Amino acid sequence: MEVVLTAVDAAFWELLQPERMMFLLFGVCIGLVIGILPGMSGIAGMALLLPFTYSMDPITAIAFLLGMSSVNTTSDVMTAILFGVPGHASAQATVLEGYPMARRGEAGRALSVSYTAAMLGGLFGALILGIALPLLRPVMLYIGSPELLAASLFGISMVAALSGSAPLRGLVAAGLGITFAMVGADPQTGTLRWTMDTLYLWDGLPLLPVALGLFALPELCDLAISRSAVSKVPNLDIKAGMVQGVRDTFRHWFLCIRCGGIGAAIGAVPGLGGAVIGWIAYAHALRSEKDAYKTFGKGDVRGLIASESANNAKDGGGLIPTIAFGVPGGASMAILLGAFLIHGLVPGPEMLERNLDVTYTMVWSVAIANIIGAAICFAFSGFFAKVTMLRYTLIIPVIIVIVYVGAFQASRDWGDLYTLFLFGVLGWVMKQLRWPRPPLILGFVLGDIIERYMFISVGRYDLNWLFHPIVAVLLLMSLFSFVRPLRQNIKAAGGVVKMFTGFRKPKFEKADIFPIGLFILFVVLFAQTVNWEFGAKVVPLFVGAIVIPALAFSLLNQVCRRHPPVQTEPQHDAAEESKEEVSELLHMDVASDHGELSMREVIRRAGIYGFWLLLLMALIGVVGFVPAAPLFVIAYMRGERREPWLLSIAMGLAMGVFLYLVFDQVLNVVWPPTLLGEWFPSLAFLPSV
Amino acid sequence: MNIGTIRRSLTVFSLTALAAAFVACPASAQDDAVADFYDGQVVEMYIGFSVGGGYDTYGRIVARHIGKYIPGNPTVVPVNMEGAGSLKLANWLYNAAPKDGLSMGVISRGVPFEPLIGNREAARFDASKFTWIGSTTDEVSVCAAYTRTGIDQFEDLYSQELIVGGTGSGADADVFPKIIEGVLGAQFRLVSGYPGGNDIEFAMERGEVDGRCGWSWSSIVATKQRLLDEGTIQILLQLALRKHPDLPDVPLVMDLAKTDEEREILQLIFVRCVLGRPFLAPPGIPPERAAALRAAFDATMKDPDFLREAATMRLEITPISGNEVQELVAEVFQTPNEIVERTRALLR
Repeated sequence: MEVVLTAVDAAFWELLQPERMMFLLFGVCIGLVIGILPGMSGIAGMALLLPFTYSMDPITAIAFLLGMSSVNTTSDVMTAILFGVPGHASAQATVLEGYPMARRGEAGRALSVSYTAAMLGGLFGALILGIALPLLRPVMLYIGSPELLAASLFGISMVAALSGSAPLRGLVAAGLGITFAMVGADPQTGTLRWTMDTLYLWDGLPLLPVALGLFALPELCDLAISRSAVSKVPNLDIKAGMVQGVRDTFRHWFLCIRCGGIGAAIGAVPGLGGAVIGWIAYAHALRSEKDAYKTFGKGDVRGLIASESANNAKDGGGLIPTIAFGVPGGASMAILLGAFLIHGLVPGPEMLERNLDVTYTMVWSVAIANIIGAAICFAFSGFFAKVTMLRYTLIIPVIIVIVYVGAFQASRDWGDLYTLFLFGVLGWVMKQLRWPRPPLILGFVLGDIIERYMFISVGRYDLNWLFHPIVAVLLLMSLFSFVRPLRQNIKAAGGVVKMFTGFRKPKFEKADIFPIGLFILFVVLFAQTVNWEFGAKVVPLFVGAIVIPALAFSLLNQVCRRHPPVQTEPQHDAAEESKEEVSELLHMDVASDHGELSMREVIRRAGIYGFWLLLLMALIGVVGFVPAAPLFVIAYMRGERREPWLLSIAMGLAMGVFLYLVFDQVLNVVWPPTLLGEWFPSLAFLPSV
Repeated sequence: MNIGTIRRSLTVFSLTALAAAFVACPASAQDDAVADFYDGQVVEMYIGFSVGGGYDTYGRIVARHIGKYIPGNPTVVPVNMEGAGSLKLANWLYNAAPKDGLSMGVISRGVPFEPLIGNREAARFDASKFTWIGSTTDEVSVCAAYTRTGIDQFEDLYSQELIVGGTGSGADADVFPKIIEGVLGAQFRLVSGYPGGNDIEFAMERGEVDGRCGWSWSSIVATKQRLLDEGTIQILLQLALRKHPDLPDVPLVMDLAKTDEEREILQLIFVRCVLGRPFLAPPGIPPERAAALRAAFDATMKDPDFLREAATMRLEITPISGNEVQELVAEVFQTPNEIVERTRALLR
């Protein structure tokens, strides 16, 4: 014990040297910028910075890299809260609570809650890392593929919580997510599943365009429909909101710690990936916090606290397997591992004995980076929060371009843009029709992990893995989380018999087109699996066997339980209505609220928005990404609201220069080929043509 | 020797010198042309994988150093074009990339043989027509087992099954055990689907699998030397066309073939180890630029700064020249059809 404390102490003073602190600060600044830019991940940042660390001593190099990677998830809340754009996979759950807060004028408070929670989570993650490091090595050897499988299944069971009042819809959405996750070359047999003869889909659908499509494009669309600023409150007192936010977070300190623990634990398990952490913490808060079902999804600070504290605790957790076993807890940890080797640090027992002080400088780096990161974010937030008061015509074109560029970073292929657009349409339709989107993304993220570890578990242990103790506990917990809402459902329906009877004559509405379309999609997709090898089709077929009946039943409920227009006795109607009210309360997603606009007008405006999206894609195809950005911004600003020419051109040019400098010059992005470049090869000197 | 002879020899000598000068002149003019072309240009080094992996590391380090050896000293920038295990990049370099010598790349060592033994519809190239620039490493891969299994030499695998981890269809750690089992009759139980090599190593450590067949020797030395020293793992077999100097006593897979047919199948599979980290350019680029790129690659491999940096990163550098890679690939594509078909059947 004393050895450890000496190391902790020595490590702190080692790190406190001015040069090291300077690089840590520098890393934090880069990390914050990377966090703000959608699509730019800490992984790319690490790879870019790695060569600069060769000449540094190990402690400085690691402080620099960890400073950068620890704070990505502190600043990435900005786009999520201010515009509903989850710039990184981890910020998805943040959108659900943060954006509604920004819309009702609480952007400052939401940002402040996020930073504080992120900082506390990050500190807690570092604390866990510091305490657990010497103890955890033996424990981690108990976590094998069956345990990972069970943990992922437990994650999927959170769908039940995230579906609110519509468990069947949630189940269908999760099934849809898993199905999308199955796209690509399957790891067992190499069968190309639903790749539509494109190489793009070989590696599966990338997460970022899917997430941006599902969450960002629909929010922007509704902003375009409402034609208002993000914040519906014209003059906000941002300072007061920020003070309030800090207070909020400290009032919910216990939630912060619980979710920090979840984040660190999931981060510490290699193979689960960071994308689910926010959701699992969010689902945990939803279940454990008082009356959460009534206010979550409408801008509840507790949802924000949960997702942000967990996200920042992840890095501390991710370092545990990296240091103790040389098994990176995530992609950015893999690069950090490379940095270890460059500096002669070999992960494993040595890091816990001889190099213990180096190891503890990592703990301190994570902790200090989180504090500095939050402080810097606080300093600039007043400015950023004001953006929510700007006219929609100043916000939307810029954010659309950034979303496109962000999505395009996933695989730098046209496919990313198609994926973004198609999932944007899907996300908007789901949002309008009140189908929960979180289960879809959860299924998508966990789908291939589950498939992977199921094959490994069965291939290695046949069915004996089911009896591993940790597996059994996790599976029982998942079962429980499915059974509880099911029981409530049966109770609400008045017993199992009533659930399956009492259907009326079918009565169709326009909104039924969506589930019917889904039904056809599922049938078509699963029909295609017939000729696949067994290993490639077993999971998809299993999903199909659950989802298709669930969808059919949900559709039956919807179509055959609509209250008949006039003839029923009024009493019954009232009961029905109150039931509907309850289900509104439990809807687990950002709901669309178009106020007094008629349906017709909503669809017309959505159509205009869709036109703009397609126009941008067309421009990118013809003149290339960089020139398309200013053209699009100018066209949108002039076309939507006749903004002054000068302002439009200035905004457009600024956008173009930004893309050119950051993505073309610094990041060397490969741009897609353009028609202009094909017609006039001499124009190839222009960026991205 | 009379004067006549001397005079004749002198004439011959001067003529030779003159001829040499003539030959040399266009050559240096060509050099100038190449230098003029590359001067102030940007050469893009495409990497067929995402940021952070082994191919990316090699791609980036070569990109950092090769510029100074290409005539005209162009700027070389690394660009990631990931997809389908670098098959996307191979297709792109073959079919779409400009054939001017400004694009080069690094792809997976298995991808060139995809048209033979992989997905023939998806691989839209003839690998022997690429302009091969060279490879940084003549890799030796091994089969290793944890000694807790009681397996400590290759012969044991004829009587006892070894549980090995794999990373998915088509990857080395999956292909190699299948071929060794199919050709040599050793017994493996392949548990596949791990996200990456690190995950297999972790699975071995916790006893989920007991070995890995298709593990690069250089990476064992870099990260798992401890396990070797403690006798926790044992190297059973080396997988390459030639033995690694570190491993004189470990049998080489090629030596275990009993018939010519077996040898040809093994050659078809294990030639990829020689290819290591293959760098290439599109087919049909101007020959003088191809020559310049190859020469630059060879010079980079000897550059002290490059070697120092590779050593700090613990990257093995055992270069193979572009011409050698070109010949090897061409040779493999001469493999008789029935051998190719038999190999395909074994991989299924």
